[in-house]
Amino acid sequence: MTSRSVARFVAGACLAAGVCLVPLRLPAQAPAPPGSAAPAAARPAAAKARPAAKPAARGWTVPRTADGKPDLQGLWTNATVTPLERPDGAKEFATQEELAALEKRGNRDEQARADAERGTPAAAGGDTTAAPARRSAIGDYNAIWWELGKKALENSRSSIIIGPSGKLPHTPETVQRLAANREYERLHPADGPEFRDNIERCLAWITSGPPMLPTFYNNTYKIYQTANTVAILVEMIHDVRLIHLDGAAHSSPAVRQWMGDSRGHWEGDTLVVETVNINSKRGYIGGGGGRSGIAPNNDKMKVTERFTRTAADTITYQFTVENPSIYTGPWSGEIPMKATDEPLYEYACHEGNYAMHDILSGARADEAAAAKGKEKK
Amino acid sequence: MKHTRASIVAGACLMLAGVPVLAHHAFQAEFDANRPVTLRGTVTKMEWINPHAWIHIDVKEADGKITSWMIEAGTPNTLYRRGFTKDSLAPGSVIVVQGYQAKNGSNHANGRDVTLPDGRTLFMGSSGTGAPGDKPEKKPGG
Repeated sequence: MTSRSVARFVAGACLAAGVCLVPLRLPAQAPAPPGSAAPAAARPAAAKARPAAKPAARGWTVPRTADGKPDLQGLWTNATVTPLERPDGAKEFATQEELAALEKRGNRDEQARADAERGTPAAAGGDTTAAPARRSAIGDYNAIWWELGKKALENSRSSIIIGPSGKLPHTPETVQRLAANREYERLHPADGPEFRDNIERCLAWITSGPPMLPTFYNNTYKIYQTANTVAILVEMIHDVRLIHLDGAAHSSPAVRQWMGDSRGHWEGDTLVVETVNINSKRGYIGGGGGRSGIAPNNDKMKVTERFTRTAADTITYQFTVENPSIYTGPWSGEIPMKATDEPLYEYACHEGNYAMHDILSGARADEAAAAKGKEKK
Repeated sequence: MKHTRASIVAGACLMLAGVPVLAHHAFQAEFDANRPVTLRGTVTKMEWINPHAWIHIDVKEADGKITSWMIEAGTPNTLYRRGFTKDSLAPGSVIVVQGYQAKNGSNHANGRDVTLPDGRTLFMGSSGTGAPGDKPEKKPGG
């Protein structure tokens, strides 16, 4: 393996680890209504201090808009150190000790402090050949560049995905297609910009979804609400989701949008959003940002999201993904989105994307070197 | 290297299972892990742009020749939240950068670590993140 393929290998390895252990038949588990605790038998005693979803706090009532609907407006974050898929061997609910360990591992500030305690590299200048005294475990970037949040999900789950396995229920065919994709990407790492991930191309991030999932940083959302529209401003990457509440039917399936076509309605105090007509170029959830290998078939993809205001500082966000072309059955996840007082900053993704030029010209340099039969040091 | 890579894979799987790649772009696609660089230079400009901020520095080589480098930093949004602004590294500031050169051989490098001449590592102080302007309440007594 060349060193520069490590990053891709990591993604592949994570993916493989996820798909290898997925049972072929996964019972679908729809999210329980917010406030309902997990079955007592499934929850270790130690986790009871952190309820699965906060019931309404005493003395707190759901704030409402002028038309009487729950007010979801404000700034929210879904940053978490809890992974999308459940680590192998982990139980559905983590103990307090496991959550503390997860937070310590995932906390970049903790890592920064640990780095500092090990000693900083020599500050002597002018030497352009010396190897750094230490290396980051994550993509060779200092901890300062990351902002994954400090906390595990407060529902005490060991993964965002809920249900018995906590894994993406890929079909055997999907596993093969993902393997084929990895091989395709190995052979065509950067033939042109269209061969790179959607995120590098500033086209789509998992943060906007749907489902809306956390990423490395800037996991901030701002929700605006009127009687007939909910708009979600997504910091990454400057996206706005428009959820129409006017009862109109979905747009034509001939029109495929990156974030699909979202229609919402209220079920009691829960905003339920159904999204279809998602562009297949979005790629696989948890399987890469979407490159020009073998795109998933998203013709039948449907995402159902449920937004419930469960506390002054919490929207319980639940989602179910259906796509029989990729999954053996529906799968669901839950993230308590927390109120934040941090402003949402503009993320004009392509204003200075030097990286794309560097990546493409780097690939050309690799090819030239290979043609000359030279091996770089 | 083999051990390092194994660690990278294990660590990344552990913490980034829900994340498709390792940064806005994959580090290994842009930078060459076999070309580590240590650069002592004077800041000439801070490009405060997404998806990554870039720090421009002039590096004086051993023979006195000045070479300009561009150092890739993090996303400005996150840096700003940590108390780091466009003005935190004013032109004329001297910094030491440890990182990796771009695969294309240009004078671009990622800013793996940024250190001040007195040895203080930028962002990684003993309290909070150590970022300029960072609130020092993160550590008891800090």
